[in-house]
Amino acid sequence: MKLLSIPGVAALATLAALLAGTATTAAKADQLADIKARGKLICGTLGTAEPFSFQHPQTRQIVGYDVDICQKVADSLGVTLELKPIAVEARIPELTQGRVDILAANLGYTPERAQQIDFSYSYFVSQQKLMVTKESGITTLDKLAGKKVTALKGSSSEQGVRRLIPTAETVTFQDTSSAYLALIQDKVDAFCASELILVKLRQQSQAKTPMVVIEKSLFVEPWGLGLRRGETAFKDQVNGVLTKLASSGEIDTVFSKWLGAGTAFDIKRDFPVEEIKG
Amino acid sequence: MGYVFDLRGVLSGQYLDWFVIGVATTLALTCVAWCLAMAMGIILTLIRMIPLPPLGWFVALYVEYHRNVPLLVQILIWYFGVPSLLPRPARQWINAHHGEFLLAAIALGLASAAYIAEDIRSGIRSIPKAQYEAARSIGFGYLGAMGYVVLPQAMRIAIPPLINQTLLLFKNTSLAMAIGVGELTYRTREVESYTFKTFEAFAVATVIYLLISFGIMALGSYSDRRLKLETR
Repeated sequence: MKLLSIPGVAALATLAALLAGTATTAAKADQLADIKARGKLICGTLGTAEPFSFQHPQTRQIVGYDVDICQKVADSLGVTLELKPIAVEARIPELTQGRVDILAANLGYTPERAQQIDFSYSYFVSQQKLMVTKESGITTLDKLAGKKVTALKGSSSEQGVRRLIPTAETVTFQDTSSAYLALIQDKVDAFCASELILVKLRQQSQAKTPMVVIEKSLFVEPWGLGLRRGETAFKDQVNGVLTKLASSGEIDTVFSKWLGAGTAFDIKRDFPVEEIKG
Repeated sequence: MGYVFDLRGVLSGQYLDWFVIGVATTLALTCVAWCLAMAMGIILTLIRMIPLPPLGWFVALYVEYHRNVPLLVQILIWYFGVPSLLPRPARQWINAHHGEFLLAAIALGLASAAYIAEDIRSGIRSIPKAQYEAARSIGFGYLGAMGYVVLPQAMRIAIPPLINQTLLLFKNTSLAMAIGVGELTYRTREVESYTFKTFEAFAVATVIYLLISFGIMALGSYSDRRLKLETR
């Protein structure tokens, strides 16, 4: 046991020190005032999710619907916008640990998430659907009982599949391409994601492996901007911006720029900007 | 609003179940891959010892491939690449029989085999050549001389590096997460994405990994002490 004791004690001591450190994170002053004083709004966004936030092929800038919405919030405060690309599963920790001020990152509402952070009014509503290979012959959601269904790790699609198709076996991957490859290779029977992603993937694979997106949505998911809990002044400000965008019709301009006619998605905005009720 | 460290949130109900399943899968993956790695490592060493140059080159190539290509890439090749070369019924069979576990075990086992083969070869080189010659001179063939005289001593000398490889193999199982094997890291991230108790979830995983690592080390140093060759 001689080997064990020294590294063991050291490791546990380090761990204990780390735990003590996070347990005493001090409370902060009003966030709205902080942002104004700093002159900069730090917005966490994915940077890899067309058309919400992605790198423009020519300018190399991160652009998209999420980015534009964040820009409107920054404009309303009279501060500059700083984008911080973050990974899907790092979204909420980055926000709660104060590394970003606000999340505009394909953030679907779930009750579990709402316990950790506050959601703004909805600024997008995503249809969560399932895609299968044409060969599989699956056409309705009830045929998926007992099948293998994939989704992105840490996504609300994953939780949706577990909740709504409880008999299915969920297999999660880190990125869209792995999940999609698993579907093509028959390693899984279906892929659950936002309709937008699926429509694009189906277009790409049309020639080689025909895919079918099951018509009926598995569930509908409102997206909100993610905010730290208890920052009422900042939350009111953000909701005010969204309400104004909706009443002035400006949100339609932003929406059709990224998702409307002439884009690969070609959809119309059919959701209200309103408080998300769990 | 201070951060409240609360382990109960991640160590109860379905989340506890996920951790238990994760640990079981990690251990199973380690065991299957380890057995494959040991068997393959010994076979590679024996092939390399045969005095026929092309065989030696083959093993050297095998070792260099596994040492220089990132393990994650090797795992992805085994999961997404290799099955697509197989006939359709074989693919379907793999998909229906926990292909991700099987292919991850193969990828991890074959990669570890490259290192294990090198460790055993070092062990063999520390055995005086005269012992092999003596064994041959009393009538053993190549396999007999290796199997009865050289390898039993070489394996004992190689125990410390082999323990090290076992530890590495155990930790490397976490890479199988990338192809959807529900091992400990995969389950930890699942618990995390449900509860958002990031710190608690990873603290639990850290402690579990440490405990199992210490277990492997203790087992290793015990067998090293028991089996050590008397040296002058």
